[in-house]
Amino acid sequence: MNSEILYLFIIPAVAGIAIFLFGKRSPLFREGIAVLGSGITFLLSLHIAISTTRGEVLSLFEDELRMDALGGLFAGLVAFIGLIAVIYSIPYMRKEVDKGVIPPERLRSYYGWIMLFISSMLLATTTNNIIMLWVIIEGTTLASVILVAFYWNRNALEAGYKYAMLLTVGITFALFGCILLYSGASPHIPSGLDPLKITEIAKVSGKIPKSVVLLSLALLLAGFGTKSGIIPFHTWLPDAHAEAPTPVSALLSGVMIKVGVYALIRTVTVFYPVYPETIKLFIVVLGILTMLVGIFMALMQDDLKRLLAYHSVSQMGYIITGLGVGTYLGIYGGLFHLLNHTLFKALLFLCVGAISSVAGTRLIHNLGGLGRKMPITALCFFVGALAMGGIPLFNGFMSKLTIFLACAKAGMLWATVLAVLTSLLTLFCLLHAAYRVFMGKAADAANPANQEIKEVSPLMWGGMLALALLCFIIGVYPQIVFPVLNESTRAISAMTALP
Amino acid sequence: MEEYSKLISTVSLSLIITSYLVIELRNLRHSAYAYILQALLMCTLFVIFARQNPGLYYWALTAFVTKVVIIPYLLLRYIRRTTDQEFPPLIGYLGSILLVSIIILILFRVTHQYIEFLAPTPSATKEPFRTNLAVSLTIFILGLYCILSRRDAIKTVHGLLVLENGVHLSLVSLAPLLRETALIGIVTDVVVAAYLLLYIIFGVFEKFGSTDTFQLKGLRW
Repeated sequence: MNSEILYLFIIPAVAGIAIFLFGKRSPLFREGIAVLGSGITFLLSLHIAISTTRGEVLSLFEDELRMDALGGLFAGLVAFIGLIAVIYSIPYMRKEVDKGVIPPERLRSYYGWIMLFISSMLLATTTNNIIMLWVIIEGTTLASVILVAFYWNRNALEAGYKYAMLLTVGITFALFGCILLYSGASPHIPSGLDPLKITEIAKVSGKIPKSVVLLSLALLLAGFGTKSGIIPFHTWLPDAHAEAPTPVSALLSGVMIKVGVYALIRTVTVFYPVYPETIKLFIVVLGILTMLVGIFMALMQDDLKRLLAYHSVSQMGYIITGLGVGTYLGIYGGLFHLLNHTLFKALLFLCVGAISSVAGTRLIHNLGGLGRKMPITALCFFVGALAMGGIPLFNGFMSKLTIFLACAKAGMLWATVLAVLTSLLTLFCLLHAAYRVFMGKAADAANPANQEIKEVSPLMWGGMLALALLCFIIGVYPQIVFPVLNESTRAISAMTALP
Repeated sequence: MEEYSKLISTVSLSLIITSYLVIELRNLRHSAYAYILQALLMCTLFVIFARQNPGLYYWALTAFVTKVVIIPYLLLRYIRRTTDQEFPPLIGYLGSILLVSIIILILFRVTHQYIEFLAPTPSATKEPFRTNLAVSLTIFILGLYCILSRRDAIKTVHGLLVLENGVHLSLVSLAPLLRETALIGIVTDVVVAAYLLLYIIFGVFEKFGSTDTFQLKGLRW
């Protein structure tokens, strides 16, 4: 019995329900329960991640819930960013209430939904049932719809409608794909074993008819690809990431889109040994296109949050490319970049939240000279920008380099060239934005409101600084994450018999 | 199952006609009634298939509770709170009828004839599962057509529900032994998705004064 898997998603769910029930009484009942719930969840996820990194596979209810190193990695990331986002939310959302952006009674709903959202993402990393995986992935969307539309103004409602509609339609394609996969595999699975289990389906993937494999692959890529923000299914992403409250944007960009990738890994890589070249090439092309479209759209943005959202699309392209290459090095690089992107993207979103919270705007042309007034935020933003730009000594460098090498070693030099080009454009785009915001001159520098701008509260910059430190530490000592990434890559290999 | 083959084919084809009505009826309330009719036909189909596989009685019950009772209740509630006249769609009435008819004819013929490419098991290629799969795919695409061609936000929810019905119908042929927990999970997601979408659309109606999705263009690029 590995009941800790159960507690992993039950604790935040219970915290969420408790906030809905008692959150009206006082801030302690909403903020306190949220911090306590996410704190315990983080410690539990750390314990689980350590166990799974040692090669243990945790299992419950006859393998219905199953957590290997890959699941442990994702659970750790979700719980970590979840805790940081919840702590950051306390001063951030209080300020939104003070500014009159939201009425105080809505904070209960905010913390309640955020805990349910975290719980749903953690549940997704534990299930070994292909249909339940779909149900939970859709559940993560539903748990976050109200958070995306939280401000309930015209833009937020537009983003919320697009988010709910596009993701629900997209994910319905994945349901068809999951059903086909289950149906195609079940006649080949010996009686007594459960054909709904992903681990059983993987064992017979070679026996599923080719036409069914191709159809289910297309459906799964469209469905879970929509969730991951892969082009051409990415259109919901910039709107949702930009209009949600910033801590939610950090969760959406930092971890939720990765849960879509997790579902893709669990389902699509099952076919790697059967149709390696065609599938892998197609996924790499998709990854490179996602990378390019994302960066070109990011270059056109003036809104900092939309800029970061398009960068998320672009960086998802790297992750997909790495996973698409399909070799040990490629998958290792893809997972490494996924981990790094979680850290630096959450960091950058939190920095933008800090900026908009004190400056009242997130439009680059209205901002300037914030470096002296907000030195910690400026430092953190630059660390995030350099990490995402792939500069040595920061974590993005090593993961991008791994992906470049994996593409080159797989004979896809064209992919390496395009990935390097995208990386240079990413660096330019982010440094240009950072320079204008922190070093440039504000459009209305004489405005008295601008004179009063000062650094945000330690509860906000504390999380940012922790993320920035991790970006630097992993950049200097990339070997510290080797055990978890190596074991996660091996967990995928165990399913797909990688070369 | 052969003795019920004709009945299954008739009910399946009626499902296409109800999809047609859900999409083409301009009065949202009438469109919701057509959806209830479709859901009832789906329940009937599950009951017929359940004679061979008793597990499907649970499916019929689950479909009845969610698709005949809860979802229509939500739909009619929000239609009452907004408007019951659909915002004029992109394609006119005659053009849409023509297009839908072409989609139905081509898709049904092609999927029915070449089902071997789509069916994962030999049994799914035989009647009545063959017709069932062809009908499922046709309904799925009709739902997608409704979402893509309609300007009215509530009508796009109708389209989404038709699309989901297409997938659920395919379960009879593709996954008849699916456990109830999985099925309940799937339909719960649909109910919650419909509720949240309608809740947000009501917010859109309050802020924009209309359910026209063409007004939602503040966030382009």
